[in-house]
Amino acid sequence: MERNLFRYVWRHSRRDQLVIFAVVLASLPFYYWSLDLPKRIVNEAIQGGAFRSGLPTTDFLKLGVELPSYLGGGYVSIHDGYKVGQIGLLFGLSSLFLFFVLVNGAFKYWINVAKGALGERMLRRLRFDLFSIVLRFTPETQKTVKSSETATMIKDEVEPIGGFIGDAFSQPLLLGSQAITAMTFIMLQNVWLGLIAGGIVAIQFTVIPRMRRVQLRLGKQRQILSRRLAGKVSEVVDDLEAVHDNDATAYERADVSERLYTLFDLRFRIYKWKFMVKFLNNLLAQITPFFFYAVGGYFALKGTLDIGQLVAVIAAYRDLPPPLKELIDWDQQRLDVQIKYEQVVQQFSPDRLLPGETLAPLPPGVEPPHLQGPVALADLHITDSHGLVLVEHLSFTRALPLRIALVAQDSAAPGAVARVLARRITEYRGAVTFGDLELSRMPEHLTGRRIAYAGPEPVLFAGSLRENLVYGLRHRQQDAPELTGARRMEALRTEGALEATGEGWLDLELAGVDDATALDARLTDVLELVGMRETLLKLGMWGLVDPERYPRLAEKVVEARKVVRQRLEEQGLSNLIEPFDFELYNNQATVAENLLFGVPVHADFMGEALAENRLATRVLDAEDILDALTSMGASIAATMNEIFRDLPPGHPLFEQFSFIDADEIADFDDIVARWKSRGLKGLTHDERARLLALTLDYIEPKHRLGLLNDDLRQALVRARKRLHDALAGSPLRGAVEFYDPDRLTVAAPLRNNLAFGRLSHSVADALPRITAQTTELIDELALRLDVERVGLDYQIGPAGRLLSAEHRVAVYIARGLIKNPDMLILDGVFAAFGENHAREMLSAISERMAGKSIVAVLHGETLADPEVFDMLVRFEGVHPVVVRDHHAAPAAG
Amino acid sequence: MTLENEVQSLRQVPMFRDIDPARLKLLAFTSERVTFTDGQRFFTQGDVGDAAYVILDGAADVLLETAHGQLKVAEFGRNDLIGEMAVLAETPRSATITAVGDVVALRIDKRVFIELLAQFPQMAIAVMREIATRLERTNARLASRN
Repeated sequence: MERNLFRYVWRHSRRDQLVIFAVVLASLPFYYWSLDLPKRIVNEAIQGGAFRSGLPTTDFLKLGVELPSYLGGGYVSIHDGYKVGQIGLLFGLSSLFLFFVLVNGAFKYWINVAKGALGERMLRRLRFDLFSIVLRFTPETQKTVKSSETATMIKDEVEPIGGFIGDAFSQPLLLGSQAITAMTFIMLQNVWLGLIAGGIVAIQFTVIPRMRRVQLRLGKQRQILSRRLAGKVSEVVDDLEAVHDNDATAYERADVSERLYTLFDLRFRIYKWKFMVKFLNNLLAQITPFFFYAVGGYFALKGTLDIGQLVAVIAAYRDLPPPLKELIDWDQQRLDVQIKYEQVVQQFSPDRLLPGETLAPLPPGVEPPHLQGPVALADLHITDSHGLVLVEHLSFTRALPLRIALVAQDSAAPGAVARVLARRITEYRGAVTFGDLELSRMPEHLTGRRIAYAGPEPVLFAGSLRENLVYGLRHRQQDAPELTGARRMEALRTEGALEATGEGWLDLELAGVDDATALDARLTDVLELVGMRETLLKLGMWGLVDPERYPRLAEKVVEARKVVRQRLEEQGLSNLIEPFDFELYNNQATVAENLLFGVPVHADFMGEALAENRLATRVLDAEDILDALTSMGASIAATMNEIFRDLPPGHPLFEQFSFIDADEIADFDDIVARWKSRGLKGLTHDERARLLALTLDYIEPKHRLGLLNDDLRQALVRARKRLHDALAGSPLRGAVEFYDPDRLTVAAPLRNNLAFGRLSHSVADALPRITAQTTELIDELALRLDVERVGLDYQIGPAGRLLSAEHRVAVYIARGLIKNPDMLILDGVFAAFGENHAREMLSAISERMAGKSIVAVLHGETLADPEVFDMLVRFEGVHPVVVRDHHAAPAAG
Repeated sequence: MTLENEVQSLRQVPMFRDIDPARLKLLAFTSERVTFTDGQRFFTQGDVGDAAYVILDGAADVLLETAHGQLKVAEFGRNDLIGEMAVLAETPRSATITAVGDVVALRIDKRVFIELLAQFPQMAIAVMREIATRLERTNARLASRN
């Protein structure tokens, strides 16, 4: 990357800068004329200077060129102009003035837009360049870089640079020329006034930048500190568990608080300087008119300066300080962004990057190559970043497929070898070759397709389970969809990526399937291999069914729910589920769900918001039960206060069972006390809503406080009908998805759709029995794959945190398997599973990878099944010992 | 039946007799009231103990799984506490319990029970006292047999 910001900008935006430059130049004459006109208006029109010779009229808009003598002299008239009187001249000149104001405005508008576009484009390019460089970080570099700091750099720190780029060349040009025009104009009117103005400008230009340099130094410190703060915050967020495990919250608070003080102090100092400079600048700017009035007035009285000139000078001067100030600002910004740019670029220097050739695309029309044997390790020697030796003198040559198990006790050696083969360690000595290709020089289109790696620390990202699995298929595609229209134009202009994301990026051929459905089936196969099939079904049952993507399932669900009901009745188990019935109160559901008789889609109808929802309170009031329900909330609050009073805040039972948060106890104490003494009248609107919110969560058979009677239940059913009628005719239509026995409820999990009712809280073991029933039915209706596909939509959370540790590793292995690699590297992944599970998994993987290579780092030799592995290498410290070798290849050479 | 009735039932259980009513209310609120139909199992011998039960209404048989099939060894009735030993000692269930007729019971989750004991020493002491009394009784019975 270019080290100097201006050279970077110039190289990539020369043309645009020149166009803007040209337009700026073209705008200058108009600017000058708009300065000159006031003088003519005063002198010629108002004071009648044009009519001094006694003529009643004068020429207006007379245009012509005086030819120089070498062209023969004389005058060539372009426009004869109009004969006008004094009033006519005044209005004519004034209109001309207005015209120039408009022209200047138009110029300014165009220039600003062009500069904005230029800046934004350069910002886009800069960010994209930086991101491209991030993709080229070597594994070793990546370890030393804090991800959040890199993100801050690309996102925030380059932003002001982008804003500045549009101004980089044109701003000083425009402002400079404006200032010079104004200065020249003043000079032409009166040299003395010009010299005074010039003198003050000179002071401004020497003192202010000096003062600002201090400000800049502070600004640079602020940039570094802010970046570190961002790094710190994200570090704490990422390791929040560790913070709690070690009771380190107090320390982290102190640490961040201290950083915030330093930052505050710095920012405050910057403010003080900034306003100091501003004060001085304003003072200097305003002292000048004093001289103009005093000195200019003196000259005018003496008669060496006419009033028109003085007015024009003062008018011109009014235009002088703003460009000057901006010019000084520009200079400061220049220093500022140059520093920022250097700071950023330093972090992205080439000595920490992968060779560009490994990222070269596969030439069009070429079949992706396979790994070639034999694989040869010649005197491999690996050290870690501190120079500590991990592996010494590892050499062997084997034909493919390579089936090798690496084991060690208390040694990092096997993992290091695995990571070298996966190219996760690039700094090693010795040679690793496949056929005649050196591993480190192999292009990524080869290694990325043919080598798969799964390690003990799964690399998963926020997204669906499916997206995480198919990441192994997201290679550069020969026929990736291309961008079109404006997106393409801009990408070309800023050398961005021309491919569009979205469909078409998956290498289905590599997975051995033809379409998305087949791919999903393959994914479930692979998940079975790693022992996640049952979990997948469960995730599917909890998932939402998108009827557009899964039309068959959506249709069958309605059928299935009827069968579920029928079966339960046949087996005398109909009390397991209380079905939804529009005419009846559902005892197993919350009061809120009974009121809505559906799933809220709009936030105004969800959770506590429902208690403040006007529509909801209106229908409850219409049934005259709003007060009763609010009082019921007070009873709940009173009971909760009584029951949970002695538990410390944050106690797990509190979190799990109480209607009220620990920190709300005192509030509710107060509310309940007032309710007891003065009834609902003693409460504010907000407090009533809080009480109603408690009632809305209430389920009689679950909470058993004996608060709901039949009258209330019936009134709630009537309120439900009112609510449905009211919603149907309101703009909020669709804010609640109503239950309909003949239609899929899109916003409810599949499980609930199958049950179409609420599980009884008072029947023992209702959940496992229903689960067994529905699972059986799913298989009978041949819907398993459809449900599992819904399971693949499951969002696994940032870094897969919503999955268990074991499942994260399983998904990681599955991602490697889905691309059918030539070589699968399993680096210590089996430690996450029990011995038996690991053994089964290993043999299943081996079967699937028949004829392909497997390199496995195992935690014990017992796992190194000779059926799976031809070769077993044990590391004693850093030295490899070949324990078993079935088909030793003849020595190379 | 509401929480208040359940608290009354809990007070009849010897283990909970001396415990504050407010604690019993907490215990009741954090438990589930469930019904079993005739012959339905509370749990099976050898299972992991995940909950204890207090019978609120009805009766249950205690069955031992033997080589010759099930053998009824005792019967539980109203206000009896069932399965607390497996919860406290973390041992597998020592017998199978099935409902006789319809049974209403309070299911006390193991985790919740342990949390409560950890939080309130008074409850822990009451439980210890009950278990010590049982041991004493067993000893006395053994002594009288000899």
